[in-house]
Amino acid sequence: MNGSDTGRRWALALPAVAVIMLFSILPLGVVLVYSFLTPGDFGNVKWIFSTEGWFSVLFERSIFDDTISISGANITILLRSVILAIATTLITLIFGLPTAWFIATRAPAQRNLWLFLITIPFWTNLLVRTIAVQEMIRSEGVFNRILLALGIIDAPIQMMFTDFAVLLGMTYVYLPLMVLPVYAAIEKFDFRLAEASYDLYASRFFCLRRVILPLIRPGIIAGSILVFVPALGAYITPRIMGGGKSMMLGNLIDLQFGQGRNWPLGAALSITLTVLVLLALIWYTRLTSGRKERDHV
Amino acid sequence: MLDIRGLSKRFGYGKGEVTALHEVSFQIAEREFFTLLGPSGCGKTTLLRLIAGFTGPSGGSIVLDGKDIAAMPPNRRPVNTVFQSYALFPHMTVGQNVAFALEAQGRPKSEIDPAIDEMLTLVQLLHLKHRKSSELSGGQQQRVALARALVARPRILLLDEPLSALDMKLRKDMQIELKRLQRETGLTFIFVTHDQEEALTMSDRIAVMSGGRVQQIATPRELYDRPANRFVAGFIGESNFLSAMASGGVVEVGDGKVHLADAPDGALTLMIRPEHVVLSAKAPDALQLEATVNQLVFFGTDTHVHLLLNDGTKIVARVQNALHAGQSFHEGERIFLSLPSNALRVVNEAEAEA
Repeated sequence: MNGSDTGRRWALALPAVAVIMLFSILPLGVVLVYSFLTPGDFGNVKWIFSTEGWFSVLFERSIFDDTISISGANITILLRSVILAIATTLITLIFGLPTAWFIATRAPAQRNLWLFLITIPFWTNLLVRTIAVQEMIRSEGVFNRILLALGIIDAPIQMMFTDFAVLLGMTYVYLPLMVLPVYAAIEKFDFRLAEASYDLYASRFFCLRRVILPLIRPGIIAGSILVFVPALGAYITPRIMGGGKSMMLGNLIDLQFGQGRNWPLGAALSITLTVLVLLALIWYTRLTSGRKERDHV
Repeated sequence: MLDIRGLSKRFGYGKGEVTALHEVSFQIAEREFFTLLGPSGCGKTTLLRLIAGFTGPSGGSIVLDGKDIAAMPPNRRPVNTVFQSYALFPHMTVGQNVAFALEAQGRPKSEIDPAIDEMLTLVQLLHLKHRKSSELSGGQQQRVALARALVARPRILLLDEPLSALDMKLRKDMQIELKRLQRETGLTFIFVTHDQEEALTMSDRIAVMSGGRVQQIATPRELYDRPANRFVAGFIGESNFLSAMASGGVVEVGDGKVHLADAPDGALTLMIRPEHVVLSAKAPDALQLEATVNQLVFFGTDTHVHLLLNDGTKIVARVQNALHAGQSFHEGERIFLSLPSNALRVVNEAEAEA
């Protein structure tokens, strides 16, 4: 009886399992298998086992004498991706927290308007948004023209195709993803607790550190994950704002599948990216579940 | 010690302006249990929030120990509050909640730790020190809120209807507990409530408020015995009101007459408590009236006899249910009642407007 019951449960779960297998596990499996094959001459792969793809993630072999050295370019891009994603998360937090605070402390009728304004860019095509940012900072762009007209600079500042440009673009694009969860957390915050803390001799800073931040922490963590994960794998923004000079992991992967004609390396890089995202998610679960454990002690 | 001088508070602007407090003045003495009593919207909570510093006054001053604190922010006033909602910090343990005020003041840990234990012992919650505050019952949360507000030894403890969320039995226990805490800590308490019984049992003095004004400030006994006006008489305890005419110290009600030396000439209102109404014609020096027994309501310890006078005025008499009841009444019976002159009070119809 128990056996048939288990069987029925499996049968009921089958559609869900099938969807997950077909659209998540199987493609990932394909990528994993490809990462251990040999690149084909015109893209695609040859079905010959090779660890060269994984090897090339971090190392390179000289074409002339087969000496092995660390792949400076790949490591730079890998590090840049992680650093830019962390920086984007921090900057969106620095701007997003006060913004969310501002919205959450408006009259309830006004809040929806502010939220709408925050999310307008979000409904706009990503490409259009990114090109709009480009228009602001390119050499003949708005910022440079203003600075030139004011006589602050003599020649336009080169801002496009730098890490700064990528960071600016990503901050702009991902800001709503930080504001929304933080806003939701602040909106739930009971402001009588802040009043109680002032009554108990707390300064504004003490209240922020000891009462407000701990209570809106889940929102901050959720917002950080929502920004960090897509920022790490960002493709369009670094492509437009960074060009070939400030590439990120997403662009590197694209390069291997396109011009590079090295699908195994592209696949290995994709798996690397997935593992990095997984690590971030594990860290996130640790943070939130650690909190729950402490709640119940 | 605390001197409230002409304190007023207005909310809103122009046509929407509402005056919550009209130039209130009074003084509170050291170690006093002072209660602000009144119906909702009477301004008692506004007054409390002004003393705590959560809002600024529109006029007047709050002088504590000779210093005007009206412009001082709440975190610099030596005044702590027990909130109606308790407002305990849900992410902290009981001990951390109690430690909050001392940590905010930057006191050393060597001073904080014993102070927490001492406070938790005082409210009998030491065994729950490491429990999350969100896991406590209402009564326990109440005690934590008290310990948290008392730990920094404020000059004044403000209590904003702290017992209103508790059930009847727990509330009675907490009333006794609060009184004990006040005696043991020797602090000044300002207690806000709309419950007249709570106010009468706990307070040294009560300020009865209505319409943003203080109607009367007196001891519970004085308030009950000599209410300043009809509002106070009606709000504190139960009362019977009679319309009367007076001339030369003689007061007439219907066909009854009584000598009241302090009665001013002309039309006036008399007040008498239900327990002072005597249901016989024999009492000396009393206003005698004929009435019909309208309804008898049994209350266990006593019976409320609802009477109807000839002119339609309703009178309630409270008769103790003695073991050997001397008299029994029936609904519809015609009887005589006496209102002793020493229990009759002339009350002001008008509320305080100044």
